[in-house]
Amino acid sequence: MVPGMARRSPPSISEPTYFILAALLDGPLHGHGIIKCTLRLSENRIKLPVGTLYGALDRLTANGLIEVDREETVDGRPRRYFRLTDEGRHVLSEEALRMRQAASVVMSRIADPGSAFS
Amino acid sequence: MTETEAVGTGSTRSGALERRYRLLLRAYPRDYRERFGDEFIGTLLETTPPGRALPGMTESAALVRGGLRTRIAGAAHGPPWPDGLHLGLLIVSLADLGLLLPYAGSIPLWVCLSAGVVLAVAHGRVRLAIPLVLLIGSKTTAIALGRPWLDQTLVPVFPDSFWGNETALYGMGGPITPVITHGVLLLGLLVLAVRPRPPRRRFPGWWALAPLVACTDPAWLTVAAGSPRSLARVGLEAALLLLAVWAGAATGDPRWAVAAVPYVLVQIAVLVENFDSVGRQDVAHWALLGFLAVTATAVPYRSRAALRL
Repeated sequence: MVPGMARRSPPSISEPTYFILAALLDGPLHGHGIIKCTLRLSENRIKLPVGTLYGALDRLTANGLIEVDREETVDGRPRRYFRLTDEGRHVLSEEALRMRQAASVVMSRIADPGSAFS
Repeated sequence: MTETEAVGTGSTRSGALERRYRLLLRAYPRDYRERFGDEFIGTLLETTPPGRALPGMTESAALVRGGLRTRIAGAAHGPPWPDGLHLGLLIVSLADLGLLLPYAGSIPLWVCLSAGVVLAVAHGRVRLAIPLVLLIGSKTTAIALGRPWLDQTLVPVFPDSFWGNETALYGMGGPITPVITHGVLLLGLLVLAVRPRPPRRRFPGWWALAPLVACTDPAWLTVAAGSPRSLARVGLEAALLLLAVWAGAATGDPRWAVAAVPYVLVQIAVLVENFDSVGRQDVAHWALLGFLAVTATAVPYRSRAALRL
C-alpha cells in the first residue's frame, strides 16, 4: 500500500476532470489546447465538448483548483489560459495515488495468478 | 471550382456555422455570453472538423446543458433556505392567483389583491404581502364555507364563461385547502419578515404566468376527471419538479427543493381534504409529486461532494 493512503478517502473526481487537471501539469493552456491534450492523454477516449469543458473550467476555478494565467487575443478572439493552483496539483496527485493503490490491488494478483483467481 | 470560389464557399460555411453556434450560445445568460461568447466561438470553430456547416449533436447538447446549468447557478443568490422559501412562496401565490383568475368577473377585487400578493412577494415586499394574504385567505375560506364576507359576494362563485368550465370556486372541497394555502403563505412570509435581510427582488414578470396556470384548471383540485387541462397541470407540476431535481443535481444547491415544499404542502392539504373521494389517478398524481419532491430534496446532498471538483 502507498504510505499515507486509506487514512482518509480523498474526494473523488470524475475522469474528465482528472484529465483536464493532468493536461495543465505541463503549463498553462487555453480551451482548445486542453481539449487536444485530454484527448491525447486519454488515448482518444475523452473528447470534451466545448460546453462541457468550459463548465468544468468554471467549477474548477470556483473551487480554487485552477486559475486564469493570462488572456490573449488571437485572430480577433479572446483566449484565457488556465493553470493549476497548488491546491489543484495536490488534489490531482492525491487522486493519482489513490488510483495507483486501487490498480495495484488488481495488478499484483494478475501478476501472481495462483493467489486470487485460482 | 476555382480556388477563389472554394475559399468563398468555405467562408460562407464558416459564417453559417458561427451563426448557429451563436444561436446555441443563447442558452447562456446574456452577461456570460458578453464576457465569454467570443472565446467560446473561437474554441468551437477550432474544434469543429473542416467542412461542417452544422454543429454536432453532442456539442449542441453540451452547450444547451452548460447554458442551463450556468443560468441555474447564476439564479442562486444568497443563503439557500430563505431564498428557496421565497421562491416557493412566489410559486404558491402565483398558483393561488391562477386559481382565482377564472372568477375575476365575480370577485374582481380579490383577484386584484391576489395579483398584488404576487407582485409584493416578487419584489421582496413581504411585510406588504402579509395583510393581503390574511384578507384573501379569510375571504376564500368564507367562500369555501358558503358565506359572503366583507362584501356581497354571491356564493357559490362560478367562473367567467371565457374559461369554459363550470366548477365553482372551492366547489370540490371544503375550507381546508384555502386555509392551508394561505396559512403556508402567511407562515412563510412571517419567517422571511423577521429575518434581518429582506428577500431579493425577483423578475416581476412572474405574474404573467398566472393565465397559463389558470388554463390548467386549478379549481378542479383533483385530477380524477382526467380532463386535458388537468393533465396539463400535472405535466407542468412534474416539469417544474424535474427541473428542481436537475438543478439540485447540477449545482448541489438545496434551494430548488426548498422552493417545492410550500406547493407540495398545499397539495397534501388537497389530498387530506378529498381523501374519501380520491381516485387512483389522484393517488398516482400525489405519489408522483411526493416522489419528485423527495428526490429533489435528496439529490443536492448526494451531489455536493462530487461538485466540489
